[in-house]
Amino acid sequence: MGWPSEEHFSDTTKNSVLLRHLRCKLSFSMQQAVAQSSLLADFTTAAIQAVATVQVVDRSPTALRDAILQAVGDASRILYAPPHELPASLFSDFATDPRVVANATPDEMVNTAAGVTEAFAAVASTGSVCIDVSYECTGIVSLMAPLQVAVVAAECIVPQPRDLFRADVLDGRGLERDFVFVTGPSATADMGPLVRGVHGPHKLHIIVLR
Amino acid sequence: MATLVNPADINPRQVANKSDKKALLDAIRMTLAVQSPAVRRNTQTFNRNRYAATALLPDYNELKDRARQIKESAIANLPELLRQLEASVRANGGHFYLATTAADANQYICDVLLRHEAKLVVKGKSITSEETKLNHALEAAGITVAETDLAEFILQVADEQPSHIIAPALHYSRERITALFKRNFTTDLPLDTGEELTKFAREKLREQFIAADAGISGANLIAADSGSLMLVESEGNIRMTTTLPPLHIAIAGIEKVVPSRTDFGTFIELLPRSGTGQPLTSYVSILHPPLKAPSFAAPGKTAKPREFHMVLIDNGRGRMREDPVLHEALYCIRCSACLNSCANFETVGGHAFGGETYSGGIGGSWEAGTGKLLNARFSELCTGCSRCVPQCPVRIDIPWLNENLRQRMNLEQPASAAKSAFGAMTGSAPEDRVAPLQKQFFANYHVLAKAATRFSPLANAATRLPFARSLMENVVGLDRRRKLPPFPRKTWQQLHRDQQHGDRARMAKSGLPEVLMLADVFTNYGSPERGMAAMRVLREVGLKVELSPSLPDGRAALSQGMIATARQQAHALADMLLPYLQKGAIMCVLEPSVLAMFRSDYEHLLDDPATAERFAHGEFLDPLQVVWSIRKELADGQRSDLAQVFPASRSPHGTRVFYHSHCQQRTCNAAWQTIEILRFCGFDVVTSSVECCGMAGSFGYKREYYELSMAVGEDLFAQVRAAEQEGGPRTLVASGTSCHEQLWAGMGREVLHPVELLVSTLG
Repeated sequence: MGWPSEEHFSDTTKNSVLLRHLRCKLSFSMQQAVAQSSLLADFTTAAIQAVATVQVVDRSPTALRDAILQAVGDASRILYAPPHELPASLFSDFATDPRVVANATPDEMVNTAAGVTEAFAAVASTGSVCIDVSYECTGIVSLMAPLQVAVVAAECIVPQPRDLFRADVLDGRGLERDFVFVTGPSATADMGPLVRGVHGPHKLHIIVLR
Repeated sequence: MATLVNPADINPRQVANKSDKKALLDAIRMTLAVQSPAVRRNTQTFNRNRYAATALLPDYNELKDRARQIKESAIANLPELLRQLEASVRANGGHFYLATTAADANQYICDVLLRHEAKLVVKGKSITSEETKLNHALEAAGITVAETDLAEFILQVADEQPSHIIAPALHYSRERITALFKRNFTTDLPLDTGEELTKFAREKLREQFIAADAGISGANLIAADSGSLMLVESEGNIRMTTTLPPLHIAIAGIEKVVPSRTDFGTFIELLPRSGTGQPLTSYVSILHPPLKAPSFAAPGKTAKPREFHMVLIDNGRGRMREDPVLHEALYCIRCSACLNSCANFETVGGHAFGGETYSGGIGGSWEAGTGKLLNARFSELCTGCSRCVPQCPVRIDIPWLNENLRQRMNLEQPASAAKSAFGAMTGSAPEDRVAPLQKQFFANYHVLAKAATRFSPLANAATRLPFARSLMENVVGLDRRRKLPPFPRKTWQQLHRDQQHGDRARMAKSGLPEVLMLADVFTNYGSPERGMAAMRVLREVGLKVELSPSLPDGRAALSQGMIATARQQAHALADMLLPYLQKGAIMCVLEPSVLAMFRSDYEHLLDDPATAERFAHGEFLDPLQVVWSIRKELADGQRSDLAQVFPASRSPHGTRVFYHSHCQQRTCNAAWQTIEILRFCGFDVVTSSVECCGMAGSFGYKREYYELSMAVGEDLFAQVRAAEQEGGPRTLVASGTSCHEQLWAGMGREVLHPVELLVSTLG
């Protein structure tokens, strides 16, 4: 198993600008439930500590497309596992990008720079996203590409990992599924120093839908 | 004397089984020479991160209680849970096999793979498969096995056993991995950074993942109600192993089964934090295979339907479950907190402090439980310092397990007239008289110390003779390099009596209860002035102090695995102290190892649970805990506050001190009061942050362990040197007898007890 050194905790500072930006944005949406927004703030802090990047965007096809395309940069192909929880229409703008491949061949699965999936839940205390791996290709798309992009709805952020094992949280969704808590990119310290990017993704970008 | 092999040439595999003591000693030499820097760096990083990560859990203690409860009930109901689990796995569409032995499990897995004509298997990390030596069985059947966890990959290339239960190659530095890969692979790549090594291994293994016919994983936990697995990792290899190939086999011990998937909620909070010190590792998979999603087909091939086999092994666990002591080990969730919080483990790692599969404090019970008792010989490296106890997420009393293993190993020794006579003379319980002379010597050291004190000038002269030291080394294994503190001319009790005849004690303040000071044998025969200083401090704050008779408490015997002797001594001491306890006196204990004995070991040793309860719960205090507990009364009364009673500015030792608290004192939560008081009195205190000084009672005196003990001490000595870099020397202060001896040996300077430092301010 890979494991972090104390660097794990110090990476925070690098991303503090982004964090401040987020807090700033939050102040504009104070009408929202205070609890939910504090969960979002905690989630963002924890995800950044786990060396993921986080972006909060409006819940619209255009905003989502822009956010994903910005995250994947100039990748020549983008693996895409269509959503089962979020409405597919949210991804409609993104899915029309010519680089997007929704039914990848095995060869494409192993040779693509970015993979985009939804996450059915996220965890505030750890900055994790929860990916359901029982759907068609969600597991593989979220695993094989060096850049993992996960899209999650803000109201699906729960306080702690243990909440995914409760019947009264998110309708008990965590109690039935095959899923993975993804916290940051894959990492190891087995080769001496801490290295990010091992068998799994080297980077994790999380898009939270307001 | 036989010529010694260069420690660097000792092969870890050859010393993996330590049923022969020579293997243990060779392994210590090898790890100190080769592996220690990497092991230290990595375990100490885990250790620091765990403290930080668990401190962030507001309900850490409640979670531990719940985890303990779940495991207790799971192990109690295991047969029923296994039946339920089998039904769940089958209902999910998987296969279930309960293997009695390691060979059964391997045979079943081979059969499944051969039936599928599997040629290449990718493996996620599974320590259970190390226990069953699955790879050998598969390779013998003509199946290629690719270990995909990078640490396991390193071990497979090096052909070594794991040195840690969650980071099995943590004994390898980056430089040694580079050298290993250069020796074993033809490559032009420089491979001289962690990134390059990781990339090299990833590319090799990516091909294997794509081509694999089957994946074998372990499981961190298994839920009986749903057949769900919890798999904790960071590299992504376990996800690939369980997701890509059509055939998935999970192998685990039967103790991994918990009643319900809802129980995962407790363990998911505790396991990663207790292990690597992360809130969560990169990936925690919760699966009830076979997965619904189609398997991955290599480019050009067609996808096959999924198939899942759960293989659970007993391999001694059923016997452990019936064992009155070892059943506790079945609660272990393999987080490694007990390894990382252990000073000896941090110094040598699991190639010395470990067997063929399992390592560290808990490892002895597992090696004995799944193999032969003597395979647990390495558990001798558990000094009982107790630092692992508060770290264990399921609250296993690991030192107690190791003391029991030691007792069982003692009992397997042949009896001899010499041992029996020595035991009778020194006071070993009859059943303990088969224990080796060395163990009986250290268990009953107070008897010899008592005699030596009576004739101290003679005894001190004698212990300085090279001949005497060589005799002691050869007969009882007391290392001749270890400096022996001189025996005092008078015991604590004699000094106390002398004082009572002369200058009368200060008048006690009315309203405060009387204090009974225990004349523990370590202080009574070893450092009586320290005992007198403790009584003086208590009197200075207005307490009336009495000194008890001096009886052994059982600590020394317990640490040698002579539990019958410890039991005898504990009963005698309890009988002596009970009348004082009933009178409501404050019971004060100067030696932290004795305080810890009362707090956490008497429950195992005393027959009467009510008495044991009184010893366990707070009725015994360290002297500075006593002072701390009455500081309010002090400030309110006529006498001024502590800082005026013991002003640091008046100490001839200066105000700059370096304080090392005792390992067991910290476990008893009885150290911080000392630091508070010293600071309050105006001392500038720098504290150590090591888990243990390395002396640990008799451990550092033993010929076999002297070097290890000094290597452990080096961390403490380095911290002293670092603290003295700025502003010059500091007065060394420590609370334990052993710590004094270790600091004295390592720094070559006088070491004071906090009470002696306080007394020095009185002028």
